Amino acid sequence: CRCRALLSRPAGRLRARRDLAAGPDMHFGFQTVTEEERRKKIYQVFESVAKKYDVMNDSMTLGIHRLWKDILMHKMNPSPGTLLLDVAGGTGDIAFRFINYVSSVRERQLQRKLKHHQNLSWQEIFESYQKDKFNSLGDSQVVVCDINREMLKVGKQKAQHLGYSEGLSWVLGNAEELPFDNDKFDVCTIAFGIRNVTRIDLALQEAYRVLKPGGRFLCLEFSHVSNPLLSRLYDLYSFQVIPVLGEVIAGDWKSYQYLVESIRRFPPQEELKAMLEDAGFFKVDYENLNFGIVAIHSGFKL
Amino acid sequence: VRCQHYPPLRALQASAALRRASDEHKKEPLTSSSQQHFDSPPAGHQPEQEPQGPRPSYTGQGGQESEDYESEEQLQHRILTAALEFVPEHGWTAEAIAEGAKTLGLSVAAAGMFHSDGSDLILHFVSECNTKLSRLLEKEQKLVQLGEAEKKPIDEFLRHAVEARLRMLIPYIEKWPQALSVLLLPRNIPSSLNLLTSMIDDIWHYAGDQSTDFNWYTRRAVLTGIYNTTELVMMQDSSPDFEDTWRFLENRVADAMAMSSTASQVQSTGEAVVQGLMGAAVTVSN
Repeated sequence: CRCRALLSRPAGRLRARRDLAAGPDMHFGFQTVTEEERRKKIYQVFESVAKKYDVMNDSMTLGIHRLWKDILMHKMNPSPGTLLLDVAGGTGDIAFRFINYVSSVRERQLQRKLKHHQNLSWQEIFESYQKDKFNSLGDSQVVVCDINREMLKVGKQKAQHLGYSEGLSWVLGNAEELPFDNDKFDVCTIAFGIRNVTRIDLALQEAYRVLKPGGRFLCLEFSHVSNPLLSRLYDLYSFQVIPVLGEVIAGDWKSYQYLVESIRRFPPQEELKAMLEDAGFFKVDYENLNFGIVAIHSGFKL
Repeated sequence: VRCQHYPPLRALQASAALRRASDEHKKEPLTSSSQQHFDSPPAGHQPEQEPQGPRPSYTGQGGQESEDYESEEQLQHRILTAALEFVPEHGWTAEAIAEGAKTLGLSVAAAGMFHSDGSDLILHFVSECNTKLSRLLEKEQKLVQLGEAEKKPIDEFLRHAVEARLRMLIPYIEKWPQALSVLLLPRNIPSSLNLLTSMIDDIWHYAGDQSTDFNWYTRRAVLTGIYNTTELVMMQDSSPDFEDTWRFLENRVADAMAMSSTASQVQSTGEAVVQGLMGAAVTVSN
């Protein structure tokens, strides 16, 4: 309910003078909380939704989130040998897609190579079909980093269930303070995670730091719909349907209320683009999907 | 006031650091680069060099760069130029661009700056070839002006220019048909057509064409036709050093020359016929 937002803002200003020690004021959905509280609350949100995360994604977006993630992967167009860091990667959706993409590119590469070698002996041909000799991923690797233990646990289980083992690692870490050295990764992605980061500028700076020169940062996130009619329908759907689905499917109204509110509070496309440029990225650009419901921002460390 | 539409000239920290083969660059203070245009970048931008011990040099040119700033376009230019050597192996694809980026010490993800079908690489190559051709023709024109060389007759000049330009394709001839098909995609037609027409313009300019009448259009149309058909013939040619192609070119140019003289002949014949008819009409009326 929107009236809550109007009430909470003035109260927040009073609170700021009293709770300076706990950090500056931040938004948690439409509430105003301190930085520390926000981190804690968000941790709790994801702790409780972890098991039903994928199911809820499918039901809220009617399965369209899969397309969004596929489009992100196509935009990335990774070649074999790419090192990917998936921040806030939680249940591993992006990581699995990356592995699929890279193995199919690698397969095509190998087929092309074989076509050129017309006069191999049978022995050599046999050997070339052995997977481990030719390295089916082409040395590509993905590191999934998430701040939330529960999400990582669900992700690992999914990986085991779907049979992904090679080229995949799971690390517990905070997007604002990544546990990696400088200049390590080719691509850094954050899909539907940056909204939950408390200090977005720090997260962007960290992403910049761990990327190799020439590396790319991609951010897939809910964004601002400019079309007024669509915006009204979207609001209706978000505030009326999603929390209900949350209650029915996951037994958790409040987490999904938070989700919807956090989308409204997130900076729109141009603002996020400016933040990326501030962090030092070049050739920053964004692409709207579904009229701005979701946007992919891209920047290069040059 | 000409509006500058290039992106702000911030120092490209990472690539500049690589170019100077320095080991470590300090993290830049956050820059307020949301202001879009023309601020001369503050001096604080330049990464400080602290070379620490030996490190392989990534500079392609190996030379000292006198200016500290490289714009994004210049970096993209360097990446595409580096990518050309991988074209015979990978074709005109994003993979070739990724390999090119690797040789400059950049991540393979830098290939994401370009369109994924490789069209940026092809257009870059065509533009480079056209520039080379212009320089060649200018040099030869200077020689003629200085009296050190003979001025060629038109047909020989055209043959020489087209052959020189087509010879630049020889290292990439295997994958050139792929490039032609990409250039014909609707998305790329404006740019590729632009490059083609400016090249033809150039050739005619150095051939000494100063026409201001309809001939200007016919000359360009004819030469474009000659160039395109010869290019297609070259794709299929397997003779040693493409002799069949050059012979085809010779014939087409000769045809064009003959056609122009035929056209003037037709015109004078037409005038003669008209006069004859007028005479007949006068006779009949008398």
